[in-house]
This record gives sequence, C-alpha cells and structure tokens, in this order.
Amino acid sequence: MIYFHQLNKHYGDFHVLKDINLTIKQGEVVVIIGPSGSGKSTLVRCINRLETITSGELIVDGVKVNDKNTDINKLRRNIGMVFQNFNLYPHKTVLQNITLAPMKVLGVSEQEAKETAMYYLEKVGIPDKANAYPTALSGGQQQRVAIARGLAMKPKIMLFDEPTSALDPETIGEVLDVMKTLAREGMTMVVVTHEMGFAREVADRIVFMDQGRILEEAPPEQFFANPREERARLFLSRILNH
Amino acid sequence: MLDYSILIEHWDMYMQGFANTLKASVLALIGSLAIGTVMAVFRIAPIRALNWIGAAYVEFIRNIPLILIVFVFFVGLPAIGIRFDSFTAGTLGLTVYTAAFIAEVIRAGILAVPKGQMEAARSSGLTYLQAMWHVILPQAVKIVIPPMGNQFINLVKNSSVLGVIAGLDLMYFGDLISSETFVTFDVYIFVALFYLLLTIPLSLGVGALERRLAKSR
Ligand SMILES: Nc1ncnc2c1ncn2[C@@H]1O[C@H](COP(=O)(O)OP(=O)(O)OP(=O)(O)O)[C@@H](O)[C@H]1O
Ligand SMILES: [Mg+2]
Repeated sequence: MIYFHQLNKHYGDFHVLKDINLTIKQGEVVVIIGPSGSGKSTLVRCINRLETITSGELIVDGVKVNDKNTDINKLRRNIGMVFQNFNLYPHKTVLQNITLAPMKVLGVSEQEAKETAMYYLEKVGIPDKANAYPTALSGGQQQRVAIARGLAMKPKIMLFDEPTSALDPETIGEVLDVMKTLAREGMTMVVVTHEMGFAREVADRIVFMDQGRILEEAPPEQFFANPREERARLFLSRILNH
Repeated sequence: MLDYSILIEHWDMYMQGFANTLKASVLALIGSLAIGTVMAVFRIAPIRALNWIGAAYVEFIRNIPLILIVFVFFVGLPAIGIRFDSFTAGTLGLTVYTAAFIAEVIRAGILAVPKGQMEAARSSGLTYLQAMWHVILPQAVKIVIPPMGNQFINLVKNSSVLGVIAGLDLMYFGDLISSETFVTFDVYIFVALFYLLLTIPLSLGVGALERRLAKSR
C-alpha cells in the first residue's frame, strides 16, 4: 500500500530523512515514534506529498507520489490526514467542514454528502454537534470532527500526526477510542504518537526514528519488551517514566 | 456663513457630479477587488511565473502617481487607437491603481491565515484554487476588513482625479461651478460635504461589519 525505497529528503543543507526503506501493507497500523525533530512528521507528510522528496522512491496505492504525471489531487482523495492542531475550517460548521471535500472533489450531491457526514459524526460520537462551529467544541471533539472529515472521503489510508498532543489529558481517550475502532475495522493507518499505550494495543508494527533514520522496526510486543537499539531503549525509558 | 444659494442654483450639477463620483467609486471598487484578489493569489501561488507577474504589477503600479495611470487610459491608449470617454478612462485608471493596494492588503490577509488550513484543504484533495476559494479567502476577508475599509475610502477620495480629465465627477462640477460664479470657498465646501456623504457612511459601515464579524468568531 505504501512503499518507501531509499528515500531521502533535504531542507536546503539539512538532511532530514536518510535512506528510508519502509513497506506498509493494506490494513496495517504502523506507529512511528522517536524524539522531537527526528523527522516523523516529515516522513508522514511525504506520503500525501505535503512534502516533496529529494531522491528515492515512494509508491502509494500503486502510484509514484512524486512522478510528474501523477494527479496528486486524485491520490489525495484516498489518503485522509489528521493534524495535531485539527485544522478545522473555523468559518464553516462541523457539517460543512465534513461535506466540503466530498462535494468539491468527489462531486457527490449535497444531500448525499450530508448523509455521509452524519454517518461519520455518529461514528465518532458527536452527531449533535453537526451545526456547531469548531470553536464551540472541545479539543477532543474537534479532533473527532477532523477524523470524521477525513473518513468522509472514504480513504484507503489515514495519516495521523500527533493527533492527541494538543489535547487536554481527559479528552485524549475519546480520540484514541475512535482510532482504535478504525484500526479494528481494517483501516490502513500511519500514526505518529507519543501514546505508548495506544501503540502497544493497536499497532501491528512500531517504527522508531532518530535523526532522520529508521533505527528499528518491530512488532510492539518485541519492541517494548526488548528494543534492539540503544537509542530506542533510551527514548522509551525517558517517555515511559513521564 | 455659507452661501446656500450656490448649492440650490447648481443643485443639478452637484447631483450629477455626486452620482458620477458614486458610480466611478462603485465600479472601481468592484474592479479593483477582482484584479487585486487575482494579483494577490498570483503573488502567493506556487508558480514562479505568476509570482513574478503579481509582484511586477503591484510594485510598478503603486509606485507611480495615479494621475499618470489615468493619463495612460486618457491619452496613451487613444494614441494607439483604443479610445475611451473621460469618465471611463478615469474609472479604469482608478481601478488599476487601487487594485495594486488591494492586492497587498489581500496578500497580507491570506498570509495571516494559518498554514495548516491550506494543508488540510489540499490534503483532502481540493485543488489549490478550490482551497483558496472555499477555505483561505473567506478567512482572509475577515482579517482584511479594517485595512480594506481604508483603501475604499482612499478610492472614493482618489476618484477626484476624474476632475482633471473632465470626467464629470464632483470635482469636475465643482471646478465648473466655481468658474461660473467666481466663488471658490463655498463651492468647494459643498463639494467636500458631498464627499463626506460617501466616506463617512463607508467608514461607519466598515466599523459595524468589523464588530459583527468579531462577535461571530
Ligand atoms: N520547513 C522546514 N525547513 C527547514 N527545516 C525543517 C522544516 N520543517 C522541519 N524542519 C526540520 O526537520 C527536522 C524534522 O522535523 P519533523 O517535524 O519531521 O520532526 P518530528 O519528528 O515530527 O518532530 P516533533 O516530534 O517535534 O514533531 C527538524 O529538525 C526540523 O527542525
Ligand atoms: Mg512532528
């Protein structure tokens, strides 16, 4: 589903992703962890070409992401993305936030888009907020709307970049619950997170990054019990003691 | 004490001037908003050639006097066979000139919208223009209302440039009445009052809009 081969990325002189090799199969949940600045966000953002790459190969859903002839908007229909800061459209209601892309990109009717939106709002547990504006919602509710917005495009892949980092502790759980349900239903997910409980419970694989490299890749049981890399061990001890 | 007989006797001329100033202002406002928005998007869009066109337009136009731009339409283009009446030439000049300032205001507004908004919109598959139109510009509009109000007021005042090329606006009729009556002070005071009749409601309107939008957030 997602295939990185010898991928490199630079910001000017700064080598942010180094020789990335990674294959993610359909239905897999991959959790990316690592210290701040290690390139986790950059890696995830390459998948839907929010970042361009310098060299190497990246194939998503059978399409070369960085090929000149790739219709990026078409590829992006199949990739939902959830951001740390939600990025809901503040001038639109919850419902309008969710129906915009299905109507403009997929060309579905307003009626159908609304029905789909309501279906996903039910799924994330806040159908009663359909006509509210984002600012009227708690962080956890906003993030659930953002997830519903992504799902309304019926994507094949969902990307999450620290979806709970901006949330109050008491609302983190509600967002993680929605993500766990998604994972159970077989969604292909790439998740950057510091929520180790979540990683342990739902990840098929943990990818540990440091200084632009993937240092370790392992199933969660193995990774958490006995990380191969010294740096991973250090990182875990630091984060788990918090 | 002002001599109101001037106002009464020349009421038709004042009214005609007022109507034309209003008309030129409204037309130039609509035109400069359209051109200004396009130029602002040109300057920001991820396409080099467009960035260059937008920047060239803004830097060129806003650094030369308005009257010169009006002359381009009034005497420059006619010299190569494209002819306008003086009202049209003046309004076009005013439009092109104001658009450069509006482009800068809108550009600042677009840049003030958090980057994540464009990323969210693009990552959902919207094209750049769709994202601009449905997500970025509506938010930028709120941000730019106060500086935009200033530009509109400048536009109304700058429309007096039409008077220089006999554009049948308030200023033109003011000059005419003054040369007929040999009165200057009173004639132009009335002209000023008519300008205030346009600019003060505009200013109040912008203020009211600003407060309403501030509340709706
Ligand atoms: N636009 C940019 N220009 C230059 N350098 C950048 C840019 N974006 C990110 N970087 C750098 O690239 C490195 C990797 O950034 P990235 O955001 O991918 O890290 P991260 O692992 O997601 O970190 P965090 O946990 O803090 O979110 C950082 O050192 C960052 O400073
Ligand atoms: Mg990050």
